[in-house]
Amino acid sequence: MSARILIIEDEALVAMELKFALLDLGYQVVGLAADAPTALDLVRESEVDLALVDIHLSDGPTGIELGRELGQERGITVLFMTANPGMVRDGVAGAVGVLPKPTDDYAIQSAVEYALQRRKGEPTLYAPPELQVFN
Amino acid sequence: MTDASTSTWTEADRLKALRATGILDTDREPAFDDIVELAASLCETPVAVVNLIDAERQWFKAEVGLGVRETPLETSFCRHALLEADRLVVPDAREDARFACNPLVTAEGGFRFYAGVLLKSDDGAPLGTLCVLDVVPRPEGLTPVQLRALEVMANQVMTLLDLRRGLARERAGNARFDALADSMPQMVWSTRPDGFHDYFNARWHEFTGTTPGSTDGAAWSDLFHPEDRERAWDVWRESLATGEPYEIEYRLRRHDGLYRWTLGRATAIRDDEGEIVRWFGTCTDIDDLKQIERGKELVSQELSHRIKNIFAVVSALVALSARQHPEAKAFSQSLRTRINALARAHEFVRPHTEVSAPSVGAMTLHAFLEAMFRPYTGVQGTPRVLLSGDDAVFDDQAATSVALLFHEMATNAAKYGALSEPDGWVTLETRKADDRFILVWREHGGPPVTGAPTRAGFGTTLSTLSVEGQLGGRLERLWLAEGLVVKADLPATALSRRRAALKTA
Repeated sequence: MSARILIIEDEALVAMELKFALLDLGYQVVGLAADAPTALDLVRESEVDLALVDIHLSDGPTGIELGRELGQERGITVLFMTANPGMVRDGVAGAVGVLPKPTDDYAIQSAVEYALQRRKGEPTLYAPPELQVFN
Repeated sequence: MTDASTSTWTEADRLKALRATGILDTDREPAFDDIVELAASLCETPVAVVNLIDAERQWFKAEVGLGVRETPLETSFCRHALLEADRLVVPDAREDARFACNPLVTAEGGFRFYAGVLLKSDDGAPLGTLCVLDVVPRPEGLTPVQLRALEVMANQVMTLLDLRRGLARERAGNARFDALADSMPQMVWSTRPDGFHDYFNARWHEFTGTTPGSTDGAAWSDLFHPEDRERAWDVWRESLATGEPYEIEYRLRRHDGLYRWTLGRATAIRDDEGEIVRWFGTCTDIDDLKQIERGKELVSQELSHRIKNIFAVVSALVALSARQHPEAKAFSQSLRTRINALARAHEFVRPHTEVSAPSVGAMTLHAFLEAMFRPYTGVQGTPRVLLSGDDAVFDDQAATSVALLFHEMATNAAKYGALSEPDGWVTLETRKADDRFILVWREHGGPPVTGAPTRAGFGTTLSTLSVEGQLGGRLERLWLAEGLVVKADLPATALSRRRAALKTA
């Protein structure tokens, strides 16, 4: 079964393109959330393996706390995707890392593969160069 | 000592010096009373006086045997003494032309004997005398020991007057300092050399809502925000140990319980030997300033976020549009990577705040190029574009061109050149040579080069446009058999034109 991915992103165009890119790669997209409450509703309703989380959402810079909660309390693998990776420079507990935006399809593919490998506990040789991995 | 005969003082100087002592019309003081008592008993006279000659009267700071504090100047013996060198002795006034008609002498039981020693200011101006008087003549005058004693006591009187003046000056100085310190918008404090606080101005007590004395010693520390106390103590202790000026920002509790950001500064005052004698310090409420700063930072951050976001939205828009047109996929991909390269470059040059600063490296040309070439990292995580040479800063004007140039170089190398082979690599040497900045891109281990391509793609046009159009430099391509060499020769100022313009202005 392919991995179930939740996109948390307040820019509709960016979310839409990300969704198509993930579908092209054969993943399931569980839903799109533009703010933290919607994201939490979605994870309550459905099983989610990986969440791609933007930091600035339509309800403010709520992405960091949301990512921490999803990772630490809900057992979801979290990958931040933001235009401002400096905001999570010191890392966020429970999250894999951050992929700076804008990015390309190949970087998304390798970052998502890497995050899912980590989730399954599979050995990872090295992280994709564009992904900044948290310690 | 100025001799009276060659005096350099005028009556105005003398009166000024007398007034400056602040002694006139003050109460009796034991220190002066003791002196006249001692003078009278030593000289065996019924009368002894510390007499100060004012403009129209003589006024007695201390006297025995007279019972009055002042008399008119006309009858004064001492007035005459002022004209003498240092002392005046009149054995029998009835036989002295200057005093024979003086009512004090001609009166029943009038004075016969007078001996006075001048009280002189530092400048030599006579202010009055220490004198003794008797109602019986004394032909032998004073003994040498009595005269000497009178002189010594006159000096003591002057010393007392000087001390009084010094004290008065210090009191005035303190009053001036207090007035100045209390009228300042800042809080002012002072400590002993060991850091014990023993002075706070009115503003401190007004701001903190404390009462004078309640924050002396080390009690001030309780008014600091608990999180700032240790840091403030560390800095303060360091200053006390080294004597270096103290400067720190901390939160200080206001009378209403709110903590306000405060700038604390202090400097040590040293004596002639260089030993610290006191510390003087100020606290300035900078909370409003901090708020404005924070506001500015927020706006700047918000702006930065939006700029970066716009690149992401544009990139997504290009990709989404191309989805309707499968034939445009390659085109959209190359356009997106160019947009992404621009976004990356702007990450390195836009005005940054602490929070928005790039998460990797410094904001220099090398740091930017390193980040840009990161996608071309080898499988083991080793870089395949090796940077060397002089680093440089670059501004937003140059960022677009630099990003486009090296984006094209790298994507071309990945498609056709050294980076298309697993073992190929590129060296990029940057070098500052006088007023030029030279970048040499050299490909190694790629497929053999057979010569210049017959048709230049848009990427090549873009590179040339960036270097020769935007940066005002020259771009040279050498299609060597072992690999492509590209040399960009730029004016040194091209990378940060605004900075260069500022310098020449």
